[in-house]
Amino acid sequence: MEEPVDRPVSKVEGGDGRPAIPSTRSPKSAGMAASQMPMATSLLILLLVMLGGAASSPSGEDLVAELETLRSQSPSGVIHLDDRFVSRFLTSAAVPRPYSLLIFFDAAQLRSKPELHLPHLHSEFALLSASFAAHHRKDDASSSSSSSHRLFFCDIEFGESQHSYALFGVSSLPHARLVPASARSLRDDSIPMDQSDFSRGAESMADFVEAKAKIPLGGPILRPPPISPRQALFLLAGLLISAPFLVRRVLAGDTLIHDRRLWMALALFVYFFGVSGTMHNIIRNMPMFLPDRNNPDRLIFFFQGSGMQLGAEGFAVGFLYMVVGLVLAFATHALAGWKSVSAQRGFMLVGMLVAYWAVSKVISLDNWKTGYSIHAFWPNSWRKLVDRNMAPRIEKTSLLALLQLETGHGMVSEAHSEQMNSSSPHRKTFPPQQGSGEDETTPPHDYKIRRHEPSSLSSSLAISVAVLAQD
Amino acid sequence: YSGWLRAGEPIDESETLAKSSSGSRLPSLRVLPCLIPPSMAASSETKGEGTLRKAFGGVLGFFILLLIGALAFSIRLFSVIKYESVIHEFDPYFNYRVTQFLTKNGIYDFWNWFDDRTWYPLGRVIGGTVYPGLTLTAGSIWWLLNNLNIPLSVETVCVFTAPIFSANASWATYLLTKEVKGTGAGLTAAALLAMVPSYISRSVAGSYDNEAVAIFALIFTFYLYTKTLNTGSLFYATLNALSYFYMVCSWGGYTFIINLIPMHVLLCIVTGRYSPRLYIAYAPLVVLGTLLASLVPVVGFNAVMTSEHFASFLVFIILHVVALVYYIKGILSPKMFKVAMTLVVTVGIAVCCAVLAILIALVASSPTKGWSGRSLSLLDPTYASKYIPIIASVSEHQPPTWPSYFMDINVLAFLVPAGIVACFLPVSDASLFMVLYITTSVYFSGVMVRLMLVLAPAACIMSGIALSEAFDVFTRSIKLQLPKLFESPGVSALNAFCSDMNFKSGDIDSTQDEVVKVDNKAATDKSETAPKERPSKKNRKKEKEIVETTIKKPLKTKRLLVLPLEASAVAILLLIILGAFYVVHCVWAAAEAYSAPSIVLTSHSHDGLHVFDDFREAYAWLRHNTDVDDKVASWWDYGYQTTAMANRTVIVDNNTWNNTHIATVGTAMSSPEKPAWEIFNSLDVKYVLVVFGGLVGYPSDDINKFLWMVRIGGGVFPHIREPDYLRDGQYRIDAQATPTMLNCLMYKLSYYRFVETDGKGFDRVRRTEIGKKHFKLTHFEEVFTTHHWMVRIYKLKPPKNRIRGKLKKSKTNSKTNPSNSKRHSNLRKNPWQ
Repeated sequence: MEEPVDRPVSKVEGGDGRPAIPSTRSPKSAGMAASQMPMATSLLILLLVMLGGAASSPSGEDLVAELETLRSQSPSGVIHLDDRFVSRFLTSAAVPRPYSLLIFFDAAQLRSKPELHLPHLHSEFALLSASFAAHHRKDDASSSSSSSHRLFFCDIEFGESQHSYALFGVSSLPHARLVPASARSLRDDSIPMDQSDFSRGAESMADFVEAKAKIPLGGPILRPPPISPRQALFLLAGLLISAPFLVRRVLAGDTLIHDRRLWMALALFVYFFGVSGTMHNIIRNMPMFLPDRNNPDRLIFFFQGSGMQLGAEGFAVGFLYMVVGLVLAFATHALAGWKSVSAQRGFMLVGMLVAYWAVSKVISLDNWKTGYSIHAFWPNSWRKLVDRNMAPRIEKTSLLALLQLETGHGMVSEAHSEQMNSSSPHRKTFPPQQGSGEDETTPPHDYKIRRHEPSSLSSSLAISVAVLAQD
Repeated sequence: YSGWLRAGEPIDESETLAKSSSGSRLPSLRVLPCLIPPSMAASSETKGEGTLRKAFGGVLGFFILLLIGALAFSIRLFSVIKYESVIHEFDPYFNYRVTQFLTKNGIYDFWNWFDDRTWYPLGRVIGGTVYPGLTLTAGSIWWLLNNLNIPLSVETVCVFTAPIFSANASWATYLLTKEVKGTGAGLTAAALLAMVPSYISRSVAGSYDNEAVAIFALIFTFYLYTKTLNTGSLFYATLNALSYFYMVCSWGGYTFIINLIPMHVLLCIVTGRYSPRLYIAYAPLVVLGTLLASLVPVVGFNAVMTSEHFASFLVFIILHVVALVYYIKGILSPKMFKVAMTLVVTVGIAVCCAVLAILIALVASSPTKGWSGRSLSLLDPTYASKYIPIIASVSEHQPPTWPSYFMDINVLAFLVPAGIVACFLPVSDASLFMVLYITTSVYFSGVMVRLMLVLAPAACIMSGIALSEAFDVFTRSIKLQLPKLFESPGVSALNAFCSDMNFKSGDIDSTQDEVVKVDNKAATDKSETAPKERPSKKNRKKEKEIVETTIKKPLKTKRLLVLPLEASAVAILLLIILGAFYVVHCVWAAAEAYSAPSIVLTSHSHDGLHVFDDFREAYAWLRHNTDVDDKVASWWDYGYQTTAMANRTVIVDNNTWNNTHIATVGTAMSSPEKPAWEIFNSLDVKYVLVVFGGLVGYPSDDINKFLWMVRIGGGVFPHIREPDYLRDGQYRIDAQATPTMLNCLMYKLSYYRFVETDGKGFDRVRRTEIGKKHFKLTHFEEVFTTHHWMVRIYKLKPPKNRIRGKLKKSKTNSKTNPSNSKRHSNLRKNPWQ
């Protein structure tokens, strides 16, 4: 089924499943040779490397100590791995290792892509690491024996360690992997993190760690407060000091807030903000637009289906809403004071054209998006008359598309209005079609498709009724 | 001059009145007052003319209002006409049940009612947890009608309560808008509100819910508040508190009022609009309103304890400080005042800080900072989706998209900006209040779609103002220029003069508010014994302003303030088309979108109408075929209906007060059969009810809600994990589904024997063949499935007996007649049962 807005994944896989990031971005593809090899060969090489490394490999304790020093060097406790470290701590270390690693795959060149949220996810990852370290500091200090509890947080940058990317077989970002202590093959034995585990940031990553590595976080994620106590103190002090001055000016009545134009602009802005569905975009984390799946060069600005909207779409329609109102307000309140009659006339003409265009645009967009056909209810005798004589003419001249005649009387299907109501305040519980930003949870049927086929729906209902009637 | 103003005022009012209905008769009438020079305007003749026209306008307005009421009532009857006179949806069934109890047992029993039919084994104190406004209203209507020997059933009264109150709401809208912008705007707004789809959606006949009554109470409270603001009368202030009390009785949304009005007061203070009228409007409301609100059991001490109410108290204190400052300002000389000012400001700030600190300390000591989850999700919109799945799961708590606005307030969305602008030209206390109302409600409606209901009245009022002002300008342009086309230049000059006068009277209308204010001020000044020679800076300024405007006005209005004739005509035409589209849309929405009772479903197809009455079939079966004390488990959506229609005890219902209990049911539904059976058995459950739409394509069935059960269950019982039910992040029930999904109770109960219907097991909602087709139930047995398979009822099998032989016997018994509901009484041979 089509999932129009899921958390975007830069999955540009080639046919053979090789990672596409290097092929699109960087010309040198040292790691690709390895990844292109058949599985068995790479495994063999891996084994060889491991065997070769085992001879000279340091003991597990040393590695742990080394990792700990590395960890202490970074403020958040995330160890930065490169090819050398990967081979040292993972491929060449004796299995089972006395530690497991959670690796976040980063790519400097993809950080600028907003839809991947890489910087955000990386900071969440760092938060998780810091919180984990904070909650487990005591454990580490007291008992070094609990080797299964040793988890280190690492990240790998694509540009400098493409070889490791190939070893893990990572082909899409964002990606994170847990390498358990007993993992032999990095590609097969490590556990990748699902999209759903990224969805809620550090909290869901912690859930993943708890579920897969069996290591509880031991407390909540420690997020830094938005305002540090010192800043808060400063703010408070500033407020206290300025309060008498402010109060005096307010009482004197000559501040900015006594300007009604400011309030008017503010009110209009809030209205625009609300009516364009911006809250929806914020809560659901909607992008401004989407690339078209069928044609990557095109962008989708308008999403069909009323349960969801894209950012640009909301603003566009909000703008249309506003334009009409503002034109009307201008014509009502300011235009009469103009001196030149022709200017008045000209403005009114333009204004009415714009308003007409905006209203009809919104109506047609709404009909397209929701699939409702709004029609009037005429007395039956009129309709017969119209059907017989003037149906084609009316259809052509239908003003603002408001006189859509009831054609197939197939519209009244209850199941249809049932779906329609799913976004209206009438429904109590509804299928989790866009479950709080986790779009994976969309049930495997699609409302939007069905909504636009009322006839097929009602026929399906008819079929089922027929089936039942046979029973 | 001001005497002339007074005389001019009613004329203007009746004009607007008449305009909104029919403008044909008026031009001849209108010339008359214009012809009379201002000096003569105060004469008795004009007064008689004015009162006549005022009376005419009043009668016309009254009839228009009657028609609006009839419209508001009748547009909501589609559900009765298309379906039947039946209670809708979920919550109304609970309200209906409570009303029945009230009418049967009287108010005291209702007040003390402990309901043991829900939330088994916990029960629920109905009297203390329900907003009694709606029930008491409908109950007293029923009582009144019965005493008048009109024997209506309780159900009928309940069905028609909402339409009746929407008529009341449209009248209240008229009153409120009249206070803000005059009669014309009031009538327009009332007409718009009578058919606004957003309100229709909650108040069609049969939708017997709190909101139906509460919107009326909300608007009426706002009306009384603005009325008090405009008049400064304590009488209205007291009424306002009573109306607020009714609102508190009716709906949890009263917190909107108790936050909006303080915000308005604060805004008035901050923008320097403090007046004694403001004090009279606000202080009694807080004192009386809070006392009254705490009488309602469900609110009780929350009225002073929770953060939702703190704003009102804070503003109450600030208002007193400001009132004191103004008072001192009045009695002291400027120099003395400055000294006193610094003193008061420092003391006041110190007191404020102390109070604030105490408040913050109090609030911070509670875990949710004293806010309820729903209010928090309004302040921080992402709160609910993160932390409270049970709030996030409800579809009416989703944020709306732009089509929702277009669906629910339709073309009003276009008109509101013009209304906002009109409210600022000129700005008065009342219009400022409306602006605040629309901005807050539009923000809240953006957070959750159900609050669109609160936005609707504000949008109607704003659009009413915008439309009325636009019509005012355009019709004036036509009216004044039309004669010019036909008449000689001399007459047109006269007309121009008339128009000057006319316009002036219009202008005066807008400044009238100002004048009244000054009058008031003068009156208060006179009553005070303080030296009158030194009015404050502000007073002087204002007086100067008035003088200036009175001087300026004749100069300003020399020119004709009109728009081109033909353009105005076209604009009026366009506005009328816009209004016509609104009407068409509203009627369509009322008829097609919002009238479905959702308890009876219909479907039109080429071979006629099909009715799906499975829900009532299932509830009737439960009522007639199960023991009266049997417990029925289902997802919480169907709790109210089960108790009301089947009269059986349920485990959870739509009053989602106990998350753990709901999570228990969710966990049972998401567990395999055996653990599920154990959970249900521990709750004494006899029957499990699932709603299944796969056969007929009914999309809001339990399988589609299932992920929420998993989420809510997993929130309390961590062994239920959502990813276990998802294949690669996708929710599916076909062959690709996870084994956990295919083995959970919900899947099994929904799809048991489903393959027998068409041989393939094709699910019409999910549009796929189901993953596991042939399976047997070990711990449950099917006892009833409705005609279209929409509701399936299962019985928990009795616990396994230790006597092997007997068990086998019963097993073979059940094999020979598999799941035939009629023959299940045969199985009751188990001696241990």
